[in-house]
Amino acid sequence: MQNIEDLQEQLCRILTPFVPDGLDLQAETDLVADLDLDSMKVMDIVVDVEDHFDISIPLNILPDVRTIGDFVLQLQTLLKEEA
Amino acid sequence: MEATPTENNLPLRYEGFSSLAEALDYAAQGKTGYNFYNGKGELDVVVPYARLRDQAQDLARRLLGLEVERGARVALVADTHPDFLRFFYACQYAGLIPVPLPASIHLGGHKTYIKQLHRLLINCQASIAVAPPTFIPFLSEAAEGLNLRFVGSSEDFADLPKATDKLKPLEAKELAYLQYTSGSTRFPRGVMITQETVMDNLANIARHGVKGRPNDRCMSWLPFFHDMGLVGLVLAPMASQTSVDYLSTRDFAMRPRLWLKLITQNRSTISFSPPFGFELCVKRLRKDDINKFDLSSWRLAGVGAETIRAEPLMRFADLLAPAGFTKNALVACYGMAECSLAVSFAPVDRGINVDRVNGEHLAESQKALPVKDAHGSDAAIAKSFVICGAPLPGYDVEVRDDHGRKLPDRHCGTLFVRGPSVMSGYFGEQELTQEILSSDGWLNTGDLAYRIADNIVITGRKKDLIIINGRNIWPQDMEYLAEQQPEFRTGDASAFSVSDPNGEDIAVLVIECRETHEAKRNNLVNRLQAEIRTELGIDCFIELVPRNTLPKTTSGKLSRSGARKDFLKRVADGQTQDPFNAVHAETLMKKAV
Repeated sequence: MQNIEDLQEQLCRILTPFVPDGLDLQAETDLVADLDLDSMKVMDIVVDVEDHFDISIPLNILPDVRTIGDFVLQLQTLLKEEA
Repeated sequence: MEATPTENNLPLRYEGFSSLAEALDYAAQGKTGYNFYNGKGELDVVVPYARLRDQAQDLARRLLGLEVERGARVALVADTHPDFLRFFYACQYAGLIPVPLPASIHLGGHKTYIKQLHRLLINCQASIAVAPPTFIPFLSEAAEGLNLRFVGSSEDFADLPKATDKLKPLEAKELAYLQYTSGSTRFPRGVMITQETVMDNLANIARHGVKGRPNDRCMSWLPFFHDMGLVGLVLAPMASQTSVDYLSTRDFAMRPRLWLKLITQNRSTISFSPPFGFELCVKRLRKDDINKFDLSSWRLAGVGAETIRAEPLMRFADLLAPAGFTKNALVACYGMAECSLAVSFAPVDRGINVDRVNGEHLAESQKALPVKDAHGSDAAIAKSFVICGAPLPGYDVEVRDDHGRKLPDRHCGTLFVRGPSVMSGYFGEQELTQEILSSDGWLNTGDLAYRIADNIVITGRKKDLIIINGRNIWPQDMEYLAEQQPEFRTGDASAFSVSDPNGEDIAVLVIECRETHEAKRNNLVNRLQAEIRTELGIDCFIELVPRNTLPKTTSGKLSRSGARKDFLKRVADGQTQDPFNAVHAETLMKKAV
């Protein structure tokens, strides 16, 4: 199983192209408020995350994802289920 | 598993059904039906109309076992899922009114979605609420504190007892469904459509709109809770015994090429999209995708639901011409939930036709005078509008001026329509209904239009509606979010949209603000922008202005059109930041990084 730090690092790498220049990504970074992500960008990110981890992200987890940390926890659960 | 066939073993019948249940009874005698594909484009569930009818009747008996009165509302979270169809038709057989609820949720949008569902459950006075299993946690939370007879998923219904009474399906004069206009989340309006109303529209769509053919097959990724998705691509195919292939809206938004892949694979002939869908394909398709498609079967690519501009559609047609897409397949349509769905269709096989008019005359005298040489000396003042075709049979159409006088051809005014496909009103909202539907049946569409003989040309949409990335955003929802900030009061904010140089809409919010401290003002703008993104999923340009800047109407209400005009003037005069630079340049910069 992948540990939290690894997952966070991979997720941040995926997020980088979508992020304003020079912004430091932390577990507490709020995806919507801090990263200016509108719904179309969110879809692009979900595609990249699905492709990178080879998983399918159910639509119904998104409403409870606010921060990078939330996203990482959901990813960990999903990867565990896939394994 | 095999998808339902395109060819049917049943004589095609488009007309003469008095209700949706009667139409399904007929379709169930054939081999066609609904097919669902997953996010990889693989066939997931096949529901032939015959099986759907059996399942719907079984569910109808279980619904009746809950002992709610005839005509009670059954709220259905309308995810692209076969259960939605089973329950929608079960209501038809049980004499209950289905109410599709939105299934679109945003990142971090848990609370917002719950509140939206909660308001809709209250507004339609639902007795029963059903969702697919993945949406049950949201639905249950939204139903807390409401006195519903039953909240659950399809799985829960298997345990319910069946009523043994004979089924009495909804009849011609009874409602067929309530359709929430893809509108305001805070001020919902449930359009009431009777069986005879929707059956009229469905027959006209099949016969005169798409001009149905025996080898037709539909493909759709449109949400089931939108009028075009529900009426156009769920009910209309069923009522003409045609097979449909579905991809969920989310899977389309993530991987638009799946739309074209499935059309290629299934030899689909009919598929509709708002302009946004075609534009998304142009943005996302890679060159090497194109030769994987064969779109030569796609005879009718319907375009509607937003203001239609020709250029992006031509880009789509050009890009996909090597894959066999013909630009003559594009058909502009005009309609709205208040008219069941369709008001007019441009003729099939003729492509997009535009009318080029003198923009100066139009702005000054509201007259749409054609320009002779759109590429020559007149080019600078020419404005192009897509012709949305002639109204379907049964409609009376008038363009009226602000005093209610009927205008002649090529005069621009407000479009009014009357006919057998028009709604009975908004559920539980008599006052709202009277505002737009007269006692003699004329519906004020709120859209600006002119006519050229029989043809309707839309020049502007419902005055206040904002459309971003194909989604309808109501200005009052944005204004409400502003007014909820402790710094602002009711009536301090005005929201509207302006289009950027590419014709894309940008949402703008102008707010009267007492705060003068620069850092506090910036903080306020950032906070509000974040909330608007969470609640509505869009970017927004915010301008803070001094008190008493926003214009009011004679009755003391804020005038959004006035606020918009003033705002554009300030931009032009350099008195405020230019949103095209602020919002657009920012996006462009980010993409370039």
